[in-house]
Amino acid sequence: MFVLELAGASKRYDQRWALRGVDLALEPGSALGLLGPNGAGKTTALRLLLGFSQPSEGSVRLQGLAPADPASRIGVAYLPERLTLPSRMTVRSFLEHHAALAGLRGSERDEDVAAVLETTQLSGRAADRIGALSKGLTQRVGFAQAFLARPRLLLLDEPTSGLDPIGVRDARDWILAARSRGCAVLVSSHLLSEVERTCDQIAIIDEGRVAASGSLDELLREGESLEDAFVRLVRS
Amino acid sequence: MRPGAFTVFRVLAAEAFRDSMRRRIVPAVVFVSLLSLLAVDSCTSCAGSTDIVQNGEALALNEVAGWSGMVIYTLLSLWTMLLAGLLGSDHLAETISDGSANLVLARPVRRSEFALARLAGSLGVSYAMGALILTGTAYLLHLRHGVSLGAAAWAGVACAAGALVVAALAMSLSLLLPRLATVLTVLALVGAVVILNSLRLFGADLEGLGYVVQELAPPLCTSVVVALGAWIAPVELSEDPLQLGLKLAAWVIASVGVLLAVFRRQELGS
Repeated sequence: MFVLELAGASKRYDQRWALRGVDLALEPGSALGLLGPNGAGKTTALRLLLGFSQPSEGSVRLQGLAPADPASRIGVAYLPERLTLPSRMTVRSFLEHHAALAGLRGSERDEDVAAVLETTQLSGRAADRIGALSKGLTQRVGFAQAFLARPRLLLLDEPTSGLDPIGVRDARDWILAARSRGCAVLVSSHLLSEVERTCDQIAIIDEGRVAASGSLDELLREGESLEDAFVRLVRS
Repeated sequence: MRPGAFTVFRVLAAEAFRDSMRRRIVPAVVFVSLLSLLAVDSCTSCAGSTDIVQNGEALALNEVAGWSGMVIYTLLSLWTMLLAGLLGSDHLAETISDGSANLVLARPVRRSEFALARLAGSLGVSYAMGALILTGTAYLLHLRHGVSLGAAAWAGVACAAGALVVAALAMSLSLLLPRLATVLTVLALVGAVVILNSLRLFGADLEGLGYVVQELAPPLCTSVVVALGAWIAPVELSEDPLQLGLKLAAWVIASVGVLLAVFRRQELGS
């Protein structure tokens, strides 16, 4: 069973097609990078997967279920591109809130919150209000909530946005660590290097359609960088 | 494992209530409520042997107190309902526009749980404020003029149900209209219903659209006034309390149903 699957999925907003007949699937433990220029339809694909939008055509399954079914999102974590966190909450209370929504209780919840704070190097800022954090630290809080309850599937939309180079490297390490625990990952990004280093499958989306998909070896010609391949595939 | 529906609702409603308490309008509302209570205290303080003369006929103060108490209590109830509408007019829509709903709804949380929790959180503030001023008003009137507390309790229930209807409809509208348009629409609709309810209570013969709206709209004003009927005994109101109660209950169910239906179809983050 695929952890996520889009079959002929299309989405139209008024007269504009944001996605057109997209087929994507991800097996458990795999990592798929969604690459594409701005406005290509990457975020729309994530919205369909999470049930935020209904496909105009085609079907979407998350863990074998329709996204409207809340059971499809058990063990799924999401980090949106436009991260809005409650500025008046402290980092710890925000994480405890999300841990409760993820089904954790009591000491299990406390331990998990402490673990993700440690992982994302936020232990020293746990009592700070989110509104007082820099953009980079806020993004770390976003990652911390995504790692709560040991997810089976991570959906990350432009995850390194707002992070400094050290943060970018940390984020990459966290994603790879999650993968090593068997977590499947879908990363939407326009940063080719990040996707190249964290994913084994790549799909290039352009103007709402999948321009190419496959492993890096399948997509790259000899001596070609991912950037070159990306430009070639998008322009063609 | 998906947490239980009650746990999800409790966690989300608590956060929604805290969100609601942080609104800039809340300190102003608390101030106005306390001011209202002081005004009620002042207005009801002339207890005792004072008489009022109307058209040359002396009226016992307690007879007048029932009528004036009803007017005050009803106005404060309507203020509570209006506040519920104002708070509800962006308590859900804002989470969609700023994207904060997305993080929650990416968890195994039903949209209905989220919407109901936001409704409960927003109503919590209106109910707390309503409980303060209505209980205070009823207590002062009871202490000084002996009006029935039981009638006040029933009117409080009617007010709570009316506030729920107004808040749920305001929330539903806010998913379809911009904030200002939502607020103006809520004000206009509540105002129209209150005017029609009042005309009916004064015995006016309504016709055409006015009659239809009066018959079908939630009895926001009428239900509170009729519940307070004991305060103006022996005068009897023509409205049937049971029928009004059923109508209000139907509106509670319908307004919450509309909210859930509209939010279920809502596109998030588009």
